[in-house]
Amino acid sequence: MPVMNIWKYHPSPDIGTPIADRLQRFPREPGMLAYAIRSIGALFLRAWMRVYHRLRIDGRENLPASGSYVLVCNHTSHLDTLCLLSAIALRRIHHCFPAAAADYFFTSLPRSAVSSTLINALPFDRRAGGAQSLDLCSRLLREEGNILILFPEGTRTTTGATGRFRSGIGRLAAGNDLDIVPCHLEGGMRAWPKGKLLPRPRRLHLRIGQARNFRQLDTTAESVKAVCKDLQECVSRLAGGRA
Amino acid sequence: MAIDLATNSKVFLGYALITGALLLLAGLLLGLLRLSGRDVSSPLRTYRGWLIMIPIVLGTLLLGREATIAGVTLLAAFGFREFARATGLYEDWWMTGIVYLAIFALGAVSLMTDPRLGQPGWYGFFMALPTFVIALILLVPVLRNRAQGELQKVALAIFGFIYFGWMFMHLGLFANTANAYGYLLFLIFAVEVNDVAAFTFGKMFGKRKLREHISPNKTLAGSIGAIAVSLLLPWLLWFSFPQFNPALLVLTGLIVGIGGQLGDLVISYIKRDIGIKDMGTTIQGHGGILDRVDSMIFVAPIFFHMVRWFNGAG
Repeated sequence: MPVMNIWKYHPSPDIGTPIADRLQRFPREPGMLAYAIRSIGALFLRAWMRVYHRLRIDGRENLPASGSYVLVCNHTSHLDTLCLLSAIALRRIHHCFPAAAADYFFTSLPRSAVSSTLINALPFDRRAGGAQSLDLCSRLLREEGNILILFPEGTRTTTGATGRFRSGIGRLAAGNDLDIVPCHLEGGMRAWPKGKLLPRPRRLHLRIGQARNFRQLDTTAESVKAVCKDLQECVSRLAGGRA
Repeated sequence: MAIDLATNSKVFLGYALITGALLLLAGLLLGLLRLSGRDVSSPLRTYRGWLIMIPIVLGTLLLGREATIAGVTLLAAFGFREFARATGLYEDWWMTGIVYLAIFALGAVSLMTDPRLGQPGWYGFFMALPTFVIALILLVPVLRNRAQGELQKVALAIFGFIYFGWMFMHLGLFANTANAYGYLLFLIFAVEVNDVAAFTFGKMFGKRKLREHISPNKTLAGSIGAIAVSLLLPWLLWFSFPQFNPALLVLTGLIVGIGGQLGDLVISYIKRDIGIKDMGTTIQGHGGILDRVDSMIFVAPIFFHMVRWFNGAG
């Protein structure tokens, strides 16, 4: 008697891992519940940014319509991430990953839950120059249609001036056909300074510059430095109101 | 079912006392065992799980009919989610989406008032809903014009809905009966005691395996012990349903004793066929939601229809 074919199951790869570990995993398994929460959350976020912070976005047309790209921005407060998320088309938010320090955003269950579900953050390991996490980022960007949000200063500034860009973005961009979009957010430090519990109702102004591409460069340390310098200047120029 | 009814209900207070006393007793026992130098870390985790679950369950019942039905609906939805994640059905958002919608529809009709009879809970629609849901699931491959692997997805979705959704959610229908607290509290209590009894008797006397290819840890002794305990429970807890005659008490014991273990075995072979150990990690020391409510899925609908047949809707 011929035997019926046995079904093949594809259990989710994170089955059997506790919820706290599952939230820290990356890449995450797409889940309907998380997508629904994130979509609804994004709508609320946009409303909050518009109404409470009077967010103005200039240069949205500079965002590439398709393909993978990186958004780099100055980093003065948590609002930076939220503003950039509000600038991206709603249907792409599930493929938009803000790089977030694993030692800050993924340290407890509630923090991990918010970071992974609402923000869709990529847990970035800042140790050892972030080599492992940068590998993860470049793998992500080789896939079609992913957006990475990166703060090359590595941490929130307390002075307001754009700090030195770390080499990570340079290593991602130099010699790769990858669009890097420089952005600058104004008002973040007044609205939600480091150390304050809640944001205050201050105006925010996001400027999105023209995409840069560094495929013509090689991958030497000099090129990496050049990329960082170039992008840092782009962001600083945006701060002055010029594209 | 409501807060004032619950606090005035002897049944509710009775069960709150019984579970409280049992928890205290188990805690003392674990403490003594620990003092005597035994390793109790695994039972302690399970015990902590109970300490979280029991107040949630009692609290939900205390809040009344709407909360109970909503709670059962959420349990069914998260239970199905575990099943979908275990089988791989979760990748098919059309199928899982329809099943989630159907589960929430079951919850909604359980809450509604029957438009013709004027009773709480639209029983007729609840029973008829699978017809429409199955039809909808079967339509998905037609709409997306695809055949490869579709039978498996359709079968998993229909099974998932009927078993984890429709059968399990009969539990919520008890909330619409006049003796809601009696039925619900007895059922939850008896099913869990049946589980614990099977485990305990198996540990103490178990030698012969019950179904060695499905669940190697279950033994014949555990099974017989659990049925014996379940046959005894309705007599001890007769105050939950004073209108039952002795024959109904025996029938109730058999449904809980046999049905509970069958539900357990069904989840066991599902997990074994898929090749996973637990359905999830939601409840500390217990595994997933389905690992905890597995026995109830079999018992709830059969007990519900027994009550309905012999006692009417009341």
